Amino acid sequence: MQIRPAIVAVGRTKFGEHYEKEPEKLIEEAWLKASQEADIERRDLEACYLSDYFLPITNKFGLEEGFLSELTELHVPMEVTRSFSSALSNACNAIQAGRYGMVLVGGIEKMTDRWDKIRDDLMLLEDPWSYYAGCTPEANHELMLRAYIRKYGIKGENIEKLNIALAQVSFKNHLHATKNEYAQYQRKITVEQVLSARKEARKPLGLYDFAPISDGATALILANEDVARKLTSKPVYVLGSSSATDYLTFPARDELTHFLVSEMAMKNALKMAEISLWDIQILELYDQSTVMEMISLEDLGFCKRGKSWVTIHENCKDYKGYYEIDGKRLFVNMNGGLKADGNPLGATGGAQIFEVFKQLRGEAGERQAKSDEEPMYGCILELEGFGTKGYVYIFGRD
Amino acid sequence: MSSEPIERRVSFLGDRLKGRRCQFCGKEYFEVRDYCGACGRKSFGKMVDMDLFYEKGKLEVCTFTSEPTNKFTKLGSYIYGIVSFHDGKIRVPGRLTDRIVRCNEEIDFSALEGREVTPRFRRRYSVDKSDVIPTISLTFTFVDEYYPHQEYTIVKPNKEYEAAGIVGYGVYTSRFRIKEGSIERSVPFVDEDAITAAVEAGKLALIHSGIDSSLIGKIYAGSESNPYAVKPIASKVAQVLKLGEECEDVQGVDAVDTEFACKAATSMFKDAASLVSYPKSNINCAMVIGTDNSQAAPRDCPGGELDLFVGYGGCAYIFGKQDVIAEIEGWYSCTSDTPDFWRRDGETYPMHGGRFTGDPAYFKHIRNATEKLMERLNLSVDDVKYFVAHQPNVQFPVRIAKELGFKEEQYLPSLQVAKFGNTYSASSPVGLAAVLDIAKPEERILIVSYGSGAGSDAYSIITTNQILDKRQRQKLTVGYQAENPFLEYVDYTTYRRLKLGM
Repeated sequence: MQIRPAIVAVGRTKFGEHYEKEPEKLIEEAWLKASQEADIERRDLEACYLSDYFLPITNKFGLEEGFLSELTELHVPMEVTRSFSSALSNACNAIQAGRYGMVLVGGIEKMTDRWDKIRDDLMLLEDPWSYYAGCTPEANHELMLRAYIRKYGIKGENIEKLNIALAQVSFKNHLHATKNEYAQYQRKITVEQVLSARKEARKPLGLYDFAPISDGATALILANEDVARKLTSKPVYVLGSSSATDYLTFPARDELTHFLVSEMAMKNALKMAEISLWDIQILELYDQSTVMEMISLEDLGFCKRGKSWVTIHENCKDYKGYYEIDGKRLFVNMNGGLKADGNPLGATGGAQIFEVFKQLRGEAGERQAKSDEEPMYGCILELEGFGTKGYVYIFGRD
Repeated sequence: MSSEPIERRVSFLGDRLKGRRCQFCGKEYFEVRDYCGACGRKSFGKMVDMDLFYEKGKLEVCTFTSEPTNKFTKLGSYIYGIVSFHDGKIRVPGRLTDRIVRCNEEIDFSALEGREVTPRFRRRYSVDKSDVIPTISLTFTFVDEYYPHQEYTIVKPNKEYEAAGIVGYGVYTSRFRIKEGSIERSVPFVDEDAITAAVEAGKLALIHSGIDSSLIGKIYAGSESNPYAVKPIASKVAQVLKLGEECEDVQGVDAVDTEFACKAATSMFKDAASLVSYPKSNINCAMVIGTDNSQAAPRDCPGGELDLFVGYGGCAYIFGKQDVIAEIEGWYSCTSDTPDFWRRDGETYPMHGGRFTGDPAYFKHIRNATEKLMERLNLSVDDVKYFVAHQPNVQFPVRIAKELGFKEEQYLPSLQVAKFGNTYSASSPVGLAAVLDIAKPEERILIVSYGSGAGSDAYSIITTNQILDKRQRQKLTVGYQAENPFLEYVDYTTYRRLKLGM
């Protein structure tokens, strides 16, 4: 890679319910934090890459670029995509091509303004045919779990263990979020709470298995390596990035127990970064549900197919702050994951990168991954739809 | 959904579950695709049409939904899952229908998964009263419960008859009942209405007849509970059942709705029979459907007396001249302007004239039509094996049968009102079907309908030898639906909720 894109600063808002704030205010807040950190001015930005999944629907917000131009008095090129990862992808391409030296990547979502219709919107956008058949945003996660149990012949006592392992994922992520001042839920929950919510709902997964709907914004400053070094002594480089796509309709895919997109994107990102899987210590997964964290560990190659729940179960019995797999420490969802940190779709990827950035620079405070050697590499997985798109980024430091 | 073009596209594919198969590698796709993803350009334009409408699937995995998205809230709770067809070659999302999940019911998913299901044509979800009603067949029921899977096998006709007659029929009622006193009445599930019953009945009639659906040149749908004031039921039936020659997305069939209270369907029997007999009509077969989600105001409101008798169901007859199971010997119809039952435009429920619906209405017209027909055909009561009358309640058809001189063995077999309630346009047609289900060859059946407003159609029908050949093709007989171990009985509140629909 001739020009390495590097992150010089990150910023974000707290995730949660921001009824009182316009969407523009949220992105402003995230951008100001990032620019302050990098000590740059608006005019230093040569372009903006923004993402929101469905602001035009939730906030009747068209041409987001225009709102942002008004707000910032910037008239630079701006492009809007649906996920933070896809915005970052465009930004990286531009930096690598040598077109720009420094750009803003931002993500924003305001979901609570439309809380009453949000599940219909989410489902219809995820897959119209499933929506027409009666699917809910939660149902596909539950069907994937059912398919997983059937495919791997998990029976009796092991089903019990698997269910507990999934509850532990939620417990663990909430535990992490207690140390994250930006998280939507900065409180602990118990495995029993997760289990009893499922029982109450009479479903394979319950309230505590799913990420919430959230408002929030995230931003980062991306620059080419030379510019980055002038602004910070600790740039975080984008070493590997890849994405993949799959059918919209989950039932129509060949495989119901994992996401092809995650597997493919990870493989290509690793190749590009020229590191091995186990060089990665910091991992931010897209845990829209606890099942997602479980299958993503397999999709990305950290656990064998059909076995990740065993790893989770063994590690969470007496949770030490990381998953230990084959003697290696893997710090997963240190910010609390989507479950506890929150999931404002278009901004979520930015929060995942925020966490990796902080961890790699040793600036995560109480959340800092505790390992013998300081982590060199971090990785994020972001998804759009129910595994319709998958993005993997691998970040590293000097 | 508020976009009519999207609605058209979704229902065009989803009502019939249309798909395509690659003739090179055999890969199958739900939705109409012009090329195969695996075979690429060489497959362009060479994909084979297929549909899953008459197929049997398997519920692969499922989950429970108690908090559906907004448009599904009237369904309350339901089982949702993934259904596969053709040994897993094709998989679709699907909802189990005809199932009331009780609030304390334990759900064992593994007991449901792996079981065989069949697609059912239903309302998709709720919309505003002024919107187009969305439908779909991504709704399923288990084949080992109320509604068995039946293949639709087209049989080449081998016998031509001189007179037109019935070549096939189908009766559809739901699996829900309300039982009050000695009367049981069929209750639609919440996603059913007059349109879905019409499609079901037509489907069953095609299965029974064994004729190619493209041979049907005209479809009449008689109803007084069409959820639309303007938009025919018949066009939906024609499209979903692929009646007439198909040309791209248009069916070569004439489709029309008819209305004359409870005789909207029977009135058209003669038109259908005449049409297929006219040498230049170029119409081989015609289908007549009577379908109603019989309307009645709640019990404490004006017109609420009807609420004790109304049922739900559809009944379809196919008329033609080949492989006839019952020939039409003759008919007589009569009409007078008698206002005994009516529903004004824009009103939800009908009104009726109390005692006035009896002697000057029902009895007068049925008696007139029956006597005139028997006189015309020179028949005595003993020449008739079975007598079928319109059945608004149990008393009326029994009294008129007795008055006309018929004995119990002649009129009781057709008496179905105590099983299904008054199915309005489908009432006397269901009675006829009950008799055709058991009749032997060469037996004469007299059917006399009654429609308020008012009029009667009387037909004399004589069964042929072929009635026995075709009988085995139909599992969903009237008797099967009346006495079924999977019937589910609901209370009055549930009945009103289900009847109101989505």
